[in-house]
Amino acid sequence: MLVVATGAALLFLVLPVVAIFARVPPDELLAALGTDAAKDALLVTAETNLISMILILLFGTPAAYWIATRTSRLRDAVVTLVELPLVLPPAVAGIGLLAAFGRLGLLGGTMDTLGIDIAFTQVAVILAVTFVASPFYLRTAVAAYEGIDPTLPAAARTLGAGPGRVFARIAIPLAGAGLGAGAALAFARGIGEFGATIMFAGSLQGTTQTLSLAIYEQFDLSFVVALAISAVLVAISGTVLLSVKLLTRWRSGSTTPIPFAPTTPTSG
Amino acid sequence: MNTRLATLAVALLAGVCVAAVASARPQANAPLTIYAAASLTDVFRSFDSAQNYSFGASNALETQIRNGAPADVYASAAPLNTQRLHRAGLVEKPVTFTANRLALIVPRSNPAGIRSIYDLRSKPVKLVVAGPAVPVGGYTLTVLRKMGLSSVLSKVVSRESDVRAVTGKIALGQGDAGFVYVTDARAVSDQVTVVRVPAWAQPRVRYEIAVVSRSSNKAAAQAFITSVLSARGQTALKNAGFLAIPKAPA
Repeated sequence: MLVVATGAALLFLVLPVVAIFARVPPDELLAALGTDAAKDALLVTAETNLISMILILLFGTPAAYWIATRTSRLRDAVVTLVELPLVLPPAVAGIGLLAAFGRLGLLGGTMDTLGIDIAFTQVAVILAVTFVASPFYLRTAVAAYEGIDPTLPAAARTLGAGPGRVFARIAIPLAGAGLGAGAALAFARGIGEFGATIMFAGSLQGTTQTLSLAIYEQFDLSFVVALAISAVLVAISGTVLLSVKLLTRWRSGSTTPIPFAPTTPTSG
Repeated sequence: MNTRLATLAVALLAGVCVAAVASARPQANAPLTIYAAASLTDVFRSFDSAQNYSFGASNALETQIRNGAPADVYASAAPLNTQRLHRAGLVEKPVTFTANRLALIVPRSNPAGIRSIYDLRSKPVKLVVAGPAVPVGGYTLTVLRKMGLSSVLSKVVSRESDVRAVTGKIALGQGDAGFVYVTDARAVSDQVTVVRVPAWAQPRVRYEIAVVSRSSNKAAAQAFITSVLSARGQTALKNAGFLAIPKAPA
């Protein structure tokens, strides 16, 4: 009975993924990847997600450390705020981005006067991707920092290291595996983003059409191309999943408390 | 405990049987599932609110029906989609039931200062159109070609997936100009200004409707189509801004 339930669940989850690769012969899939639509989508996704990841890491790494080192009440409040985009449906994220940064949005007038025009540009894609992906990194990073044995940064402080040095030379290396896992999760979420992107940035091949948007357009133009692009996304996501697994296995080694050798009781 | 489980199982089984029987037999009053072009959203809903509708781009709906979507009626904004399904035996013979015209809409604030279609060529503009496979997207290409303005396509910033997405982008002020049907412009008339497309440049827009072959309720589906073609249906369409069925054969 248990075996039947597990078998059914596994089959249900695995079949759609396998079907993407099995539906058409592999040489057709590879040929479809050579089409302009697929190549452009790959380029747009790569460019926008690279910049998005840089932004997320640049701002998120210190931000997560700050959150992790606050008192628990403040920390909980800030973490809840930061996790909000996680539970927002992507369409809502798109509406929110429009309401904030759209031409008629809250910041629209300010951006107009400053001469900043992001409508339908790659900047809009980067904003959408960063908005939906950063909570994944922040949440995992906060947990990674909190998993550090507190005696280590404390020891560094007593040895004269300032807070910045503690952050850069102690916290980041120790939390490294967790940060890496969080970055992988954020990346996977980012390359899959669809709803917020199509609402906020529109869809134009070569400029704003990411892999997900290309699948949507190709789905009733050429199903084979849609399958091929999906296969690429599955391959990338699978790699990301694998690296998260490996990183979290490695992580447990660097953040368990390191027992100091017991000293013989002296008067020192 | 065992008797409780057994009773629950029997009740569940009975419920499933009843539901299966009920859904297999076509009922005169069961709502139809109508797949219709996005531009028909307001007029169909107010014409017959008792049915279940799925509105979207006609090409996307065509793909869904091809993949087995449970529609009873399919109404498309272009003959191409209904005819393709008819040739594949997936819908019965389509019938033309209305027509439409294209318009260029700009946001109320008109950031690019577009007053005529030709301004699209001379001024920098963020043009939003529907994708080429979407009926209104194809019609847009026809309009631009007839007016000798195909070069304007280089100013397209987004190819949207259906006409309502184009309307939305312009109404929100994201794009500077967009091509939609006049009927869609009416729905957002307080947020956009209409720039008329001259009559000689209008494409031949034909909306077709057909009964889906695998429908289990064909009699009611045909009745719906008849009501759309009736005086009541045609008046509703005319009041919404659609055009009367063209007399000349397609």
